Amino acid sequence: MKKLILALSIISIAFGCNTANKKETVTIKGSDTVLPLTQEEMEAYQEKHPEAAISVTGGGSGVGIAALLSGTTDIAQSSRKIKFDEKLKLEESGKEVHEVLIAYDALSIVIHPDNQVSKLTREQLEDIFTGKTTNWKEVGGEDLKIIPYARETSSGTYEFFKESVLKDKNYMNGILSMPATGGIIQSISQTKGAIGYVGFAYVNNKVKDIHVSYDNGKTYIEPTVENVKNESYPIVRPLFYYYTNLHETGKSFIDFILSSEGQKVVSKVGYITLNK
Amino acid sequence: MIQTKKIKEQIAFSVFRLLGFMVLGVLLWILGFIIYNGIGVISWEFIFSAPTDGMTGGGIFPAIVGTFYLIIGSTLFAFPLGIMSAIYTVEYAKNNWLTKFIRIMTNNLASIPSIVFGLFGMTLFVNTLGFGDSILAGSLTLGLLILPVVIRTTEEALKAVPKTYRLGSTALGANKIQTIKRVVLPAAFPNIITGLILSIGRVSGETAPILFTVAAYFLPQLPHSIFDQAMALPYHLYVLATSGTDIEAARPMAYGTALVLIVIVLLMNTLAGIIKKRFEKNK
Amino acid sequence: MKKFIDKLIEGLLKLSGTVTGITVLLIIVFLFKEGSGLFQSSTVEKGYTLLVNSENPIDKLSPEELKHIFDGEIENWKQVGGRDEAIRIFRFDEIFSIYTDDELGEDYDLIPEKLGEVIHTNPGIIAYIPQKYAAKNSRGIKELIQEKIGLSDYFLGEEWLPTATPAPLFGILPLLFGTLLVSFIAILIAIPLGVGVAIYLAEIANERIRKLLKPAIELLAGIPSVVYGFFGLVVLVPIVQKTGGLDLGETAFTGSLILAIMALPTIISIAEDALRTTPKAMRDASLALGANKWQTIYKVVIPFASSGIAAAVVLGVGRAIGETMAVLMVTGNAAVIPHSMFESVRTIPATIAAELGEAPSGGTHYQALFLLGAVLFIITLTISIVAEIISSRKMIKE
Repeated sequence: MKKLILALSIISIAFGCNTANKKETVTIKGSDTVLPLTQEEMEAYQEKHPEAAISVTGGGSGVGIAALLSGTTDIAQSSRKIKFDEKLKLEESGKEVHEVLIAYDALSIVIHPDNQVSKLTREQLEDIFTGKTTNWKEVGGEDLKIIPYARETSSGTYEFFKESVLKDKNYMNGILSMPATGGIIQSISQTKGAIGYVGFAYVNNKVKDIHVSYDNGKTYIEPTVENVKNESYPIVRPLFYYYTNLHETGKSFIDFILSSEGQKVVSKVGYITLNK
Repeated sequence: MIQTKKIKEQIAFSVFRLLGFMVLGVLLWILGFIIYNGIGVISWEFIFSAPTDGMTGGGIFPAIVGTFYLIIGSTLFAFPLGIMSAIYTVEYAKNNWLTKFIRIMTNNLASIPSIVFGLFGMTLFVNTLGFGDSILAGSLTLGLLILPVVIRTTEEALKAVPKTYRLGSTALGANKIQTIKRVVLPAAFPNIITGLILSIGRVSGETAPILFTVAAYFLPQLPHSIFDQAMALPYHLYVLATSGTDIEAARPMAYGTALVLIVIVLLMNTLAGIIKKRFEKNK
Repeated sequence: MKKFIDKLIEGLLKLSGTVTGITVLLIIVFLFKEGSGLFQSSTVEKGYTLLVNSENPIDKLSPEELKHIFDGEIENWKQVGGRDEAIRIFRFDEIFSIYTDDELGEDYDLIPEKLGEVIHTNPGIIAYIPQKYAAKNSRGIKELIQEKIGLSDYFLGEEWLPTATPAPLFGILPLLFGTLLVSFIAILIAIPLGVGVAIYLAEIANERIRKLLKPAIELLAGIPSVVYGFFGLVVLVPIVQKTGGLDLGETAFTGSLILAIMALPTIISIAEDALRTTPKAMRDASLALGANKWQTIYKVVIPFASSGIAAAVVLGVGRAIGETMAVLMVTGNAAVIPHSMFESVRTIPATIAAELGEAPSGGTHYQALFLLGAVLFIITLTISIVAEIISSRKMIKE
């Protein structure tokens, strides 16, 4: 019994002694949209630098920036631009914020594959997500209740959609919120009347994406890589890394992402590379 | 008359038997579902390698290691503390308001939802004390979660030791502390260990307390120190089931993770049962 | 010397004894201190203010009114008690499309001036801008009085929109009702099942079956919440959707199903204990009077154990209310006051889990979530106390 306690104490002290290496790991937190990209970049980066210690956690762009504020992350990954007051708060606490653009992402509007509707204007989308339009027949579909899905409020995607498509209006009361994008795809693929928005990279054959018009119905554009690159698809957003101070590993990782190799990974995951 | 009485009894008993088997059925359904879908995923690679390809391949080793560290950390914190607390209330405390108060507080702590522990752990350990998202913060939070369980089971274990043991020891000239150390504790040991084992099961499965205190989505390098974040099995299952670009493709990994979790719980329960039985036999 | 060490050890033990009390106290302090800070904060998002033209008679607007205005649902000042004038919404970023960067000066120091001009020349305007850029004492501008978030805003508010701009809404009624609905339905399902199985185990089942069932129930109790959530998400949600012919499967009902299963072991084991403590003498007496086993059970044993069973149910409720992960994954998380159990709901624990990460430390959202935690704590504490009272009443009866 005594020996057991002794052994356990030694193990824990030895483990704790590693605190000499306090915080050598580069912590990345934030956007669930950027998460898969960061993960794949980490995997590629670590093939070249196996000693590098990086960790990534999701939760939404808001989580990343809040963590940057409280000093619990090195890099905040975000799918929306940092808000004015967030920047202010950071500067007030004496931290200078650096912004790095790492890729672009298109936002696809997705519906159930059996839904006959194939195109919608921004105004129609706004009415759907603010709760004004409630039935698919009002937008050219069948007589079926529209069930909009949104992300949680911490999501940059949520904020971006609100800004770009809803023109800053608030989402309807009682909209369903999924904690992560994957959940939206899952739910939409199971629910005939559903509609939601996801990062372009998340679209798979379980859901159908629709063509969107930002000019009141004159032209409808399909979300494809070319249409994003030639800037005809209207719902595109930049993806950012924000940091205050970063040591070597972090800087090297960011440089990797911006390099041609890193950008290849961007395409592979389904996002849009920087050099359009 | 007697006929209807008998019939009523038969019906009642059948209904209850049915209910009993329904509950058993639910358990089997859940277990079966996970085992059936997860067993194919388990392999050497699955247990011992890190996730690859956006969580659709590879394994869950970092999560297993993370959970392991959290188990050690939380038990290291909760056990000595809990045992000492139980020793105090059983062996020393007089039956006054203080003891009553302590008992009430322990019960209350036990009924607090795990998310409140997560909230508290975040504000105390991560923010105020500045540990950040770390194994340390996570272990302390989980430790608080299992503390009431440890205290309760240790109290029961100590109470179960017959008074005669203590009296005999004192008669031989030992003082209180010696009695406790050499007589009571060893006698209560199996039950205390049972509590330990069940706590381990609890710690490995809790998600809410670690959401904001330690959990990382992807940390292929194992944590270097207690100030690092860590992956953990329950959080890993949660993210596999709800995030990632290709939930469908990651589904097998999720089943595998769920299976590993269930196996741990099963193992702990069985172990606790075996020890209990052995102890009862020795009596 | 030895005596000194002994005294030291005793002191240490005494200290450990108080650790649970200290922890509970700390939890209360942290939760309530942070949570009550919410009522010191203003309704408008921190760091921002609302400016209107000085001729506008309106002095202040409620968070709900602000939301409706900025959503375009209220379009005229007369709808909120002002003049018959169209409301012109102005968000801060618009200043950049009206003036060029040069006009705004180096370091944007001319913004307050330019903003003042815009407001001054637009009688129906309401401008939502950072406080830093508000030139409050200029002519033509009036700042709306910022009220503090009130108790009724929080406890009786019907909308929970923590990131709404300009004024977040922190009404907890949808969350409260969501939590209560899911738990209530769960208990309705779990009571007959749980008490029934308890009776079965305590009175009817033979030794062999007990040996099988008891470990099975303990296993059910040990399955992690997230595994239940996973099962619910992948199995129950589609089933509920198909059999109910519903639009979607993520509903309060699905949550209740899972919670019922999770509360079962608690109910079963405590109720079973209560039933077993019925003195043999009472049972024998009943049998001697000619009752058969079943009659004994329902006329003698159950009434005797009724307070224990009640305590079991109450504790089951407590378990259900505090559950986080499983409900987060299956209830759809829509913050609305539910009208039926086949709608999506958002519970208090799920809200905390989903939103805590993004709430900046010390901000109003953060405080609102802590207050939610405090509310949850009080609810579960009350339940725990009620259970205590019920089961101690039984002791007095004896």
